Amino acid sequence: MKGQTTRLLRAALKKYRKPMAIGLATLTLVDLLEVVPPLLLKDVVDAAVEGSATRALLRLAGLYLLVAFVQGLCRYAWRMYLIRSSMWAGRDLRNRLVDHLFGLSAHFYDRKRIGDLMSHATSDVEAIRMALGPGLLTFGDAVLYLLTVPVAMYVLSPRLTLFAMAPLVLIPFFVHWNQRKVHERFEALQESQSRISAVTQENLGGIRVVKAFAREDAQIQKFAALGEVHVQTSLSLARVQATFGPTLDFTMSLGLVALLYFGGKDVIGSVVTLGTFVAFQRYIEKMVWPMTALGMSVTYYQRALASSGRILELLEERTNVPDPVVPVAPRAAARGKVEFRNLSFRFPGSDKNVLRNLNLVIEPGEKVAFLGAVGAGKSALLSLLVRLYPVERGMLFVDDIDVNDWSVKALRDQVGYVGQEVFLFSDTVAENLGYGVRNLILPESGPHPLVQEAAQWAAVHDDVLGLSEGWGTRLGERGVNLSGGQKQRLTIARALARQPSILVLDDALSSVDVQTEERILQSLRSRKGRNTELVAAHRLSTVRDADRIITLVDGEFRQIGTHAELMKDRRGEYRRFHEQEERREELETFIQDGGSR
Amino acid sequence: MSAIDHYLDVEERENRNSGQGLHSWFRLLGLITDQRGTFAAGAGLILLGSAALLAQPWLLGRAVDIALRPGKGELLGQLALALFALNAVRVTALMAQTYLFEILGQRVMQRLRIQLFSHLQTLPVRTFDKNPVGRLVTRVTNDVSALSEMFSAGFISIIDNLLRVLGTVLLLLWLDWRFALVVLAPFPLLVLLSIHFTGRLRVCYREARAKLSALNAFLAENILGMRVVQLFNREPLHLERFHQVNESYTSATIRTVRTYAYFQPSITWVSGFSMALVIGYGGVQVSEGRMTLGILVSFFALVQALFQPIREIADKWNIFLAGMASVERIFSILDWPREVDVPAVPERASGIASVKGHIRFEDVWFAYDEERWVLQGLNFEIQPGEKIGVVGHTGAGKTTLIQLLLRFHEPQRGRILLDGRDLRDYDKRSLRATIGLIQQDAFLFSGDAEENLGLGRVLDAESRARVEPALKKLGYPHWLGTAEQPALELLERGSNLSMGERQVLAFARAASIGPRLWILDEATANIDPETERALGQVLEASSGGFTSIFIAHRLATVREANRIFVLHRGKLAEEGTHEQLLQVNGLYARLWRFQEPVDNSEAKESSPAPAHPPGA
Repeated sequence: MKGQTTRLLRAALKKYRKPMAIGLATLTLVDLLEVVPPLLLKDVVDAAVEGSATRALLRLAGLYLLVAFVQGLCRYAWRMYLIRSSMWAGRDLRNRLVDHLFGLSAHFYDRKRIGDLMSHATSDVEAIRMALGPGLLTFGDAVLYLLTVPVAMYVLSPRLTLFAMAPLVLIPFFVHWNQRKVHERFEALQESQSRISAVTQENLGGIRVVKAFAREDAQIQKFAALGEVHVQTSLSLARVQATFGPTLDFTMSLGLVALLYFGGKDVIGSVVTLGTFVAFQRYIEKMVWPMTALGMSVTYYQRALASSGRILELLEERTNVPDPVVPVAPRAAARGKVEFRNLSFRFPGSDKNVLRNLNLVIEPGEKVAFLGAVGAGKSALLSLLVRLYPVERGMLFVDDIDVNDWSVKALRDQVGYVGQEVFLFSDTVAENLGYGVRNLILPESGPHPLVQEAAQWAAVHDDVLGLSEGWGTRLGERGVNLSGGQKQRLTIARALARQPSILVLDDALSSVDVQTEERILQSLRSRKGRNTELVAAHRLSTVRDADRIITLVDGEFRQIGTHAELMKDRRGEYRRFHEQEERREELETFIQDGGSR
Repeated sequence: MSAIDHYLDVEERENRNSGQGLHSWFRLLGLITDQRGTFAAGAGLILLGSAALLAQPWLLGRAVDIALRPGKGELLGQLALALFALNAVRVTALMAQTYLFEILGQRVMQRLRIQLFSHLQTLPVRTFDKNPVGRLVTRVTNDVSALSEMFSAGFISIIDNLLRVLGTVLLLLWLDWRFALVVLAPFPLLVLLSIHFTGRLRVCYREARAKLSALNAFLAENILGMRVVQLFNREPLHLERFHQVNESYTSATIRTVRTYAYFQPSITWVSGFSMALVIGYGGVQVSEGRMTLGILVSFFALVQALFQPIREIADKWNIFLAGMASVERIFSILDWPREVDVPAVPERASGIASVKGHIRFEDVWFAYDEERWVLQGLNFEIQPGEKIGVVGHTGAGKTTLIQLLLRFHEPQRGRILLDGRDLRDYDKRSLRATIGLIQQDAFLFSGDAEENLGLGRVLDAESRARVEPALKKLGYPHWLGTAEQPALELLERGSNLSMGERQVLAFARAASIGPRLWILDEATANIDPETERALGQVLEASSGGFTSIFIAHRLATVREANRIFVLHRGKLAEEGTHEQLLQVNGLYARLWRFQEPVDNSEAKESSPAPAHPPGA
């Protein structure tokens, strides 16, 4: 797994080798220059002690300024090259991930939660980005400091280096121990935070129950107890974190104490100059950072490792309805023939057959309706026509071609599928309805003629014109409020605008009132070049005029025939359904007429 | 078009109403008044720590001047010891101060959290219809956390660093004021730069955050609508849009990097300039004997130490501002009006415990919004101990009736009397506590079965006695914990309970409070006949003698009632016993004929609408 992770990181950076190299080069320059200022101070002190060294001192001041100037330039450069590259790499990875997501099938989305997928695309990518940017930076800093500063110290005085550095050796161990503790307690904190969040969510969701039972007090007590746990967890984390910085400081100060004592002796004994003493003081202060950075870069790396594991897992997901090796993608519109041949189906990962041995040939232009209770298999059956789920070879044919041989895209272009869920994008009405129309150009005068026509067929044209901004009205979660029926009609219009050869309506008229439904069905019938229609419904009115009606029970075809034929079977499903429906209609008419009065 | 624009405006709308800063400050200070002691101790420790910190460069300077000369070696030991002690004090003060302020912050947080949560409990039901739960949860969690961070990482750190800057400047002036003035000459420039860049960073951060939430909104919508995208073969379009959104977010974060890329070098340069002044001016002074070397050495360290706190302040300032925005959002919720509850006659709880259950609706009109009347002059009377069934079409006003009885809403016209007294004269919570409500969906909370019965409150002996026999009879004695065996743990969303069992729980929940008035809202709509029968029996035993109101879609449920009310369009259309109503041959009779065959067959649809074909 580590190998794969490394490959992922390397692939992400591949495009940015050059800016990364520049970034690392300038970083190296900054860190090398870090050695210089203490040396300059050493010369300053030594020169000042000598006396009458004005020129030398001014030269040193100039040099100090020069070093600061170059360092400033380099710091600008490494940020702009190193950190910016990491952001580009993060952007690329996010694009790659989302590109991949768009290629995954219904089964994948049935299993995953939106929140998780979103956090992979943001938090996990960010963790990797951090390892590539700040992570690499801290690691580079640590290595470079450790390679240079001790060397400079050693050159000045091997003996003092030993005394001053001795306590610092403890730091990496301490940092590592601390980060582990912090991680543990941080997890605990997250846990208590999410419990608070869950309990709040639950409480507000059930606020009516709480209020109805007047149990607000008990809920507040429960919440307060959780909050108290959170306080204690936070404090236990704080105890670790509060010691971290000060302990590092203290370790460093031990070096300073050692320097003062032993270095002081050396100065008095003229083993080293006073300048060396001063330079050492600065070096010791400088050594804290690389020791810390070492620990930090380990943490960056570990987080990235966990995140890239999750991302790799996602990238390994494959669609279960792939294109065949030689996909069939006819140029012309399909004739619209559909055939089920011993069709059986179970959802991926399930061992229960939802459809069993279905046999049927639907001729081009025919209108077939499926009736059945929830769970009878209507939706499953219709969803196979657009290959939302995989179906075995030799079972389902469109235009006499096995659906497994069709190019998925071509198949979906031919089959206009409208499902039960109404989903509209946060775009304008015109954009939503023209969604399936390729090369849609929105002329100033109004939407595409195809879109207008489709809106009329779906009996939603007048509704659109009645909206505050007509075709330009925004829809979606944050857009205008439409009724369920309006939304359904919009999704039907959206599918019709593509002019599919086969139209599939899976309970797509359930929220539309009966009169409007009648209008839609009529206009569909009168549509020029009328094509094959497969309709699943709960309501009799939706199916009555179909060429053939099929009742579906537990994944099997029970009855097949026209309305008149099926009505003859007195004990049949269809007849029972019809009677129930009639009573309901009677009741509805009664209610609409004003009840008992 | 730019895809990101649309997602952005929502974020902006959320950020708009900020800027009543000072007022929020005082309210925030109000929260810490009783933590004054902790605050004072922390402040004292900050002072102590800062003093010890500043003393260190001074001590080293003194060491250079007095100890590092031949013959003064014996002083070194003492100075080293002093340095050690100074650091020990400083580090201890730092730890203690950090921890103290964490305690303080956490206490304030906890108090605010409880205040917020408690306030949410008192809001009228209407408020929750308008505000998505998710957003309110964010206030209780994220905003409170942001506030905590603002306090410990922002506020305290800013004060600490300001003190350090001030102390350093004073010390520099005290050591050698002329030297100090020369060295500090670039300092105002640094402050100006910091202010400038902090302002720019704030803009950058805000933009990056807005772009990130746009990116999240895009992802959420697209993952939700993935099926549509794929069925219409429009993946390329969406990918192109995502790349735009992603690019826009990345550019925003890069702008932040760029701002830092300018900020950091400018600090490097200004501090380099200051140090060059130290070297040039101070070095010459020393070499000409006008100043001691020790002062120069002290200046080296002090001038370097001056720049770090400035950067820290610049960094924390934005955390601080983000926290203030959260504070304002929290306070704005605390200002939302509570459920009004001022009884006209403050007799209140006195009479409520022994309510007899006489209910009277007098010309009750009610509308959820201003336009559509749900109840239109409802009139009826229920005698104590009567068992009333309420039926009617969807939207006839059945559930609204309950909402009014529970006083989740108040009628706009007319009044409701309980035992001859206006409902508004009772205290809301005591009123609700006398009503045993069983709803169609027993809302389950996490925790075990017993906790769910008490809704967070531990059942007292009396409550236990009320439900224990019934639970035993129904076969769920293990729902109540005993000394030997804890109560049954419920899985997430009650997945280890069947629909029937959930109703049993809802019943026990109601029974445990010993209600004087029972309301069942579609309580048996989703359960199997066997459980329904068993539940009916224990219910009969518990509610016998008390007024009970059964609301039902399925008429078989109310058949046995003393009287049945048929609601139609917000009015009482028919009333009477089952037989009487059948004879009237009106709405009830038609409803009955419609439902009868369904009830006789085995069909028990999970969906309440009888629109599915039978025999599912």
